[in-house]
Amino acid sequence: MDGTAGHGAGNETLPPAPITLTRGEDFWCGRFRAMGGPCEVLVDTDDRAEAAGLVACAEEEARRVEAKFSRYRAGNILHRIQHAMGAPVEVDEETANVLDYAALTHEMSGGRFDITSGVLRRVWTFDGGDRVPDDAAVHATLALVGWEKATWRRPVLTLSAGMEIDLGGIGKEYAVDRAGALLAARTECSVLVNFGGDLWAPGPRHGDRPWGVGIDDPERTGEAVLDRVELTRGGLATSGDARRFVRWQGKRLGHILDPRTGWPVEGAPRAVTVVAGTCLEAGTLSTLAILEGAGAEEFLRAQGVVYRIHS
Amino acid sequence: MQLDAAAPRGQLRRRLGAAACALLAAGLPSAARAEATGDWQLDGSLLLYGERDRASVFEPVARISRLFDNGHRLSGEFAYDAISGASPTGALPSGQVQTTTTPSGNTVTIAAGAVPTVLFRDDRYAADLEWQAPLARTARATITGHFSSEKDYLSRGGSASIALDMFQRLLTVTAGAGVNADEVMPVGGTRVGLGDGTQMLATGTNPKDVTSGMLGVTRVITRRWLVGLTGSFESERGYLTEPYKVVSLVDPVTQEVSGQLTEKRPDTRERKSLQVSSVYHLSEDILYLSYRAYRDDWRVESSTGDVRYRFELADGRYLLPHVRYYAQHAASFYVAGLVAGEPLPAYASADYRLGPLRTATLGLTYGFHAGSLPGTVSLRGEYMRQWLANPSGGDGEGGDDARAGGVQLAGTATAAALTSVSGTPPLHIATLLAGYSVNF
Repeated sequence: MDGTAGHGAGNETLPPAPITLTRGEDFWCGRFRAMGGPCEVLVDTDDRAEAAGLVACAEEEARRVEAKFSRYRAGNILHRIQHAMGAPVEVDEETANVLDYAALTHEMSGGRFDITSGVLRRVWTFDGGDRVPDDAAVHATLALVGWEKATWRRPVLTLSAGMEIDLGGIGKEYAVDRAGALLAARTECSVLVNFGGDLWAPGPRHGDRPWGVGIDDPERTGEAVLDRVELTRGGLATSGDARRFVRWQGKRLGHILDPRTGWPVEGAPRAVTVVAGTCLEAGTLSTLAILEGAGAEEFLRAQGVVYRIHS
Repeated sequence: MQLDAAAPRGQLRRRLGAAACALLAAGLPSAARAEATGDWQLDGSLLLYGERDRASVFEPVARISRLFDNGHRLSGEFAYDAISGASPTGALPSGQVQTTTTPSGNTVTIAAGAVPTVLFRDDRYAADLEWQAPLARTARATITGHFSSEKDYLSRGGSASIALDMFQRLLTVTAGAGVNADEVMPVGGTRVGLGDGTQMLATGTNPKDVTSGMLGVTRVITRRWLVGLTGSFESERGYLTEPYKVVSLVDPVTQEVSGQLTEKRPDTRERKSLQVSSVYHLSEDILYLSYRAYRDDWRVESSTGDVRYRFELADGRYLLPHVRYYAQHAASFYVAGLVAGEPLPAYASADYRLGPLRTATLGLTYGFHAGSLPGTVSLRGEYMRQWLANPSGGDGEGGDDARAGGVQLAGTATAAALTSVSGTPPLHIATLLAGYSVNF
């Protein structure tokens, strides 16, 4: 998911930057780059060595998940699936779990949440301009979209030739939750894991305080805080990205595409932030909300989650 | 909201939350390093090939490949063949006992009426290396090297190809070229072509060079249907004769085999082929169809039709029946035998593989997971029947076959030779292959 705090779909081979550890007012903060954006781990402790160990652990997990599920890494499981040319591919346990989750989400969303829809990005360019693809290109590409066209019989996935899967809508949130769970197993301190704007915290900080999270203005990332939410326990994720859109017939179309039409969802908010039990759940709900278009708010209200809509 | 209209909304969140928890609970927290991406792939197979009353082959093959993080893949394949048995010399069966001379100078006695064959045993060792490199997100290069050695044949070769994805990967174009520098070293020396087998050439090692090229296009037609078209050519230069094959001489009066000559083939050969293939995904099963047309300047022309159907069974098992039919028009210099005393043609061969050959193949592959063993096991059984089309037109293929069947033979001898050819019993071949493939 593209968070407000950072995204960067094009970063193919950023060298792993070192971790920088800085002292916050009453916590330690480790920063590094992974998953195409800035990552932060806040540790509610004064013990620098403990914080350093935990940040390193989170960073390692971020790189592991990134290497495994990034569609930019030649050689990983996605690469194998992408290049199977219609042949069945047997996947490992973890990938199978992720595909099960994607399959269930696809079913529950009536086909709107679809990990095979990434190929549509070949024909759409969301650079703020006014180029939209012609219907023939969208139709030709739609032939390669649709989880229902895949044969998923755990642990064997068979895609038709030309189809691809893209775990961009799951991968970063999954990495956040995974890293969070690893840290929670290693420390009693509260932590805040923030991978490019997707967050998770295990519980309250010392003194029963929440973590304060500022939500960036989607138009001016890093410059202005639009809103603040408090996160004590659970995940927070943002979908949508105000800088990636295309203009068409006087309308502004955001970059989240409806796999059933091949077109961006009309009338959708620019970004949606959701707080839920896990980062994965929050990310999926925020994406589903945008796919509802103008009905995003009604959908979120019905889910009974804390949310922010940025129109 | 149209999401899952039948379900109340809160339920969507509950299910989603439960699914997310299930995903995250799996393998936590210790599994962070338990990475099973499977950078290595090992494929092993054991082939048993048997022609009834003829050759048999025992061939274990091991292939190992490593996929690197940068997308490069390096593969090595190592094979050993033990070939033994009897190979037809090309001589015609005769009503009398015949004596043949083998290249090493031994004499072999052939029973009356039997197809003359020569016993042989050969060991072949082969190694192939392949390197695949992604050039960009839409291009890949492949470079291969090959080496194989047996007692009378040495092969060294290499190839390079490039594949480009175009039009949103709906079209892939592949182009490649290869060279081979082979050497033929007949046991007992190189015999003069169309000689009586005692005259030798001075050269014991005979070069054979091959250059080849291919151009292929793969197109995604619909999400279920993929078609490919591949054209290739191959140019051979050098010693192309089969060193141990002979052509019978038939006495025009007695119609009996009166002697034999070594065979002789041209020293160039230009081959061209065109293959169309289609892969169609049904809901779960897959149908593979292909047709290949081939011709060369020896006037061999062939057609191959191939149909496979992959039935997906439960638990990752599959069943794949396979039917193939091959039909070939004979080479211009293919003869059943030559008439003793007549002027010799420039080239002649009685090798049945250059004759009006037909091959029908029926096969079945079964793939499954063996208990707790990782990877896939496959078992394939194939039955092949090879025969020569009746040159007198019984197979309905007409002209070329009749020529190939021995119009070189005059008068009554023609009839005798033709009878012999059509009387050549079909060859029955069985193949068993056990394979195992695993990622680790």
